[in-house]
Amino acid sequence: MIKKANYKLPAYLLVLMSVIGFTLLCAANNWQANVLYVGIGFLGLFVLIYSILVLCRMGDKFLVLIAFMLMTVGVLMLCRLDIVMGARQIVWIVVGAIVFFLSYSFFYNIRFWNRLWLLYALGGAALFVLTLVFGKTVNGSRNWISFGSLSFQPSELIKILYIMFLACKYSGSFNKPFLKVHPTFVTGIVTYLYILFLVLQRDWGTILVVFLIFIFMIYVYEEKSWFLWANILAAVVVGILGYLFLYHIQVRVGVWLDPWSDVSNKGYQIAQSLFAIASGGYFGRGIGNGSPDYIPEVHTDFIFSAVCEEMGVFGGAAIIILYFLFAYRCFKITLNTQNSYNKAVGLGLSLMFSLQTFIIIGGVIKFIPLTGITLPFVSYGGTSIAVSFASLGIMQAISALEERKGGKEE
Amino acid sequence: MTNKKIIRVLIVISALFLGLLTHLLYFNMFEAESVATNPYNRRQWDDERYVTRGSIYDSNGVVLAETTTDDDGNTAREYPEGRIYSHVIGYYSKVYGKSLLERKYDAELSGKGDIGLFQGDKKRGFDLNLTINNAVQKYAYSQMRGRRGALVALDPSTGAVLAMVSLPDFDPEAKSLEKTWGNIVEDENSPLIPRAIQGLYPPGSTYKTVTLAASFENGMQEKVFDDVGEFKTGDVTVENYNGKKYGEISIERAFAVSSNQVFCNVGFDLGSEKVLSIARRFGIDDEVESDLDIAKSRIEYKKMTDTDGALVSIGQGQLLCTPIEMAMICSSFANGGKLMRPFLVDSVTKGNAVVQRTSPKVLGQAISEECANYVGLQMVQAVENGTGGNARINGVTVAGKTGTAENEKEKDHSWFIGYAPFEDPKIAVAVILENDGASGGATAAPIAGNVMRKYLSLVD
Repeated sequence: MIKKANYKLPAYLLVLMSVIGFTLLCAANNWQANVLYVGIGFLGLFVLIYSILVLCRMGDKFLVLIAFMLMTVGVLMLCRLDIVMGARQIVWIVVGAIVFFLSYSFFYNIRFWNRLWLLYALGGAALFVLTLVFGKTVNGSRNWISFGSLSFQPSELIKILYIMFLACKYSGSFNKPFLKVHPTFVTGIVTYLYILFLVLQRDWGTILVVFLIFIFMIYVYEEKSWFLWANILAAVVVGILGYLFLYHIQVRVGVWLDPWSDVSNKGYQIAQSLFAIASGGYFGRGIGNGSPDYIPEVHTDFIFSAVCEEMGVFGGAAIIILYFLFAYRCFKITLNTQNSYNKAVGLGLSLMFSLQTFIIIGGVIKFIPLTGITLPFVSYGGTSIAVSFASLGIMQAISALEERKGGKEE
Repeated sequence: MTNKKIIRVLIVISALFLGLLTHLLYFNMFEAESVATNPYNRRQWDDERYVTRGSIYDSNGVVLAETTTDDDGNTAREYPEGRIYSHVIGYYSKVYGKSLLERKYDAELSGKGDIGLFQGDKKRGFDLNLTINNAVQKYAYSQMRGRRGALVALDPSTGAVLAMVSLPDFDPEAKSLEKTWGNIVEDENSPLIPRAIQGLYPPGSTYKTVTLAASFENGMQEKVFDDVGEFKTGDVTVENYNGKKYGEISIERAFAVSSNQVFCNVGFDLGSEKVLSIARRFGIDDEVESDLDIAKSRIEYKKMTDTDGALVSIGQGQLLCTPIEMAMICSSFANGGKLMRPFLVDSVTKGNAVVQRTSPKVLGQAISEECANYVGLQMVQAVENGTGGNARINGVTVAGKTGTAENEKEKDHSWFIGYAPFEDPKIAVAVILENDGASGGATAAPIAGNVMRKYLSLVD
């Protein structure tokens, strides 16, 4: 009998890390108490959420721990960049926590999610149309909707709707032709329609995430292998055509291959990111000693570079390993799940987390061409945090259902 | 079945994450250094706000480089002696980065590792004190002016650089450099290359000093040669300078008149292995670790034959040397056969405190003391009764050797290496004038002679 992993020790570790981190940052800021207030707020939130999770036996105990570990680094970094931003991130985490418990209880208690495929598909499409009509352009991507002073990024939410939609098909719930079109083709049509919308918004990162989720899901579930190959072939053809005719894609691939020939212009972002990482070395320049403010978009897409500059490559490697542990845990829950709809949703969410992390970290370290998306749990932003928490809530619900009922099909 | 495929997907995802980790570590190990020092990385100039860059002085405390701050707090790096030191100190530009000493001693100049207290509101970096004597440097520069080439003067007993001129040069001051960069880079004479330490030239007859040392080691000094004016083997023919024929001749006389035929014969008889071995003892084919960015002097043969050995023995063939390497070789004849490591920075100081001092270092014993004295004596003969007559100094015994090196361009390079005084050597000089066309004795020897005289007049 293998001893069950103890969740208490890592929880204490997390508290210790937060205490040390926020105290040091406070010391570096001439003992400004603001940092400590943010730190205390953050720790309080963690203790509250984690106690509820453990006491109410809401499934897996490690996912939330890893997520909070990542958020500790994120909030620390944001406080260091701008204390106001760090404080606001705490507000977003409060919102995220509410979303977390809501999505958990909805997913846990409602049993007919697998029948709503049409709703997901249309809901996603409606959000896209709304973005196109009311959207505003930020950093070259037209993917924001504003309500007064509040902004919201629908494409983050669409990813979850899309995964729920795919899960309906691949759990076998959506198996009858719709308007005489076979479900396999319906999924294909919806996927490519979404991608078309995303191209119109110039949101290349999300395109990659959506398409790769699609390909992996086909690989796992689709019995007809020609459908998989046809899609890969289509992707290759579209990719080559895109490279030949779309200026945006040419530029991105160009600066990936050689950012140094045009550092002051096209290669500016990636060069600044690499400068930061290179200046940090193995152990970093120390929190507060670096110049992460030279990096554009440092609080969202490029936060990983700032972490590398001040906490070093080893700090960056630790973040990558944390994400890997998180992804591994998600996959493990997916593998143990018996309910086929929950399993498909779990797989989709696992893929979403891992691919999104890979694409943005790989982008800022110039492993792959850079496409801007947020780093889950670490980047600043309400939508990103809320959607990450919503997915986490669903993942918790899946694991809790499995623990309680053995996940029998109803 | 589904689980099996999910595990495969997990393996792919694991590979992606492993790729991220590997790339990040790879980047930090192999690319980070050059990325961090990219001139566009503004972090490099961050220190400037808190630290005034240290100054650079000559051996007598004359300011060669200093950073000034104007009333608005803007800093500028100034070089009071202008272009005379462009190939010694290098440049310091926010656009084009740093070179030579400004780069090599960047950490010291910006006060890294200084745990001293702040004095006033701004910290000050460490200062560098060079071994160069500004008066000699200026004089050497005036002697070389208008030519293309290099001059290196060393203290033969320590390896300290006394003067170092490379031409053509450029104005190192950042503002002017940034304005003229385009022209400087495109100039076909490459003014950015510090020729004294990085120019690779065939050393020509100056290299006969090394061959003479090898012949002494192999007991050839009693041998009498028949000089018919040309050396012939296979399809290789080497003629004496100006086609002269000397008839029956000793090796010593052949050295003084610089007979190519005799020295080709010596090299051929020694064989390629011995020719290569003595070259290596003098530091050729070896990286020289020093505070100067010295290019590696080299003999480039895949497989060296005895004929190649004959060509190398007169400083031709695939033998390429930097001027500073020739000055090092010349020094070792002056100091009893030791190859000294050359150095430029005598000490790093902060106020009166010495932070770091360079001590002379022997790289190796190239030849025996006896052999060094023998070659030195013959070098005296070459100046007194041979090709090096123009290097003579009144009242001082000068040892030297001229050279005229053929190269891929039409006009020959003129060379001279020498040291003085013979009895108690204080300075060793190597001079090269690129594509000068004249013989080393005519143009290079007088420059070397004048520089040595100037230095000796200052130290006595």
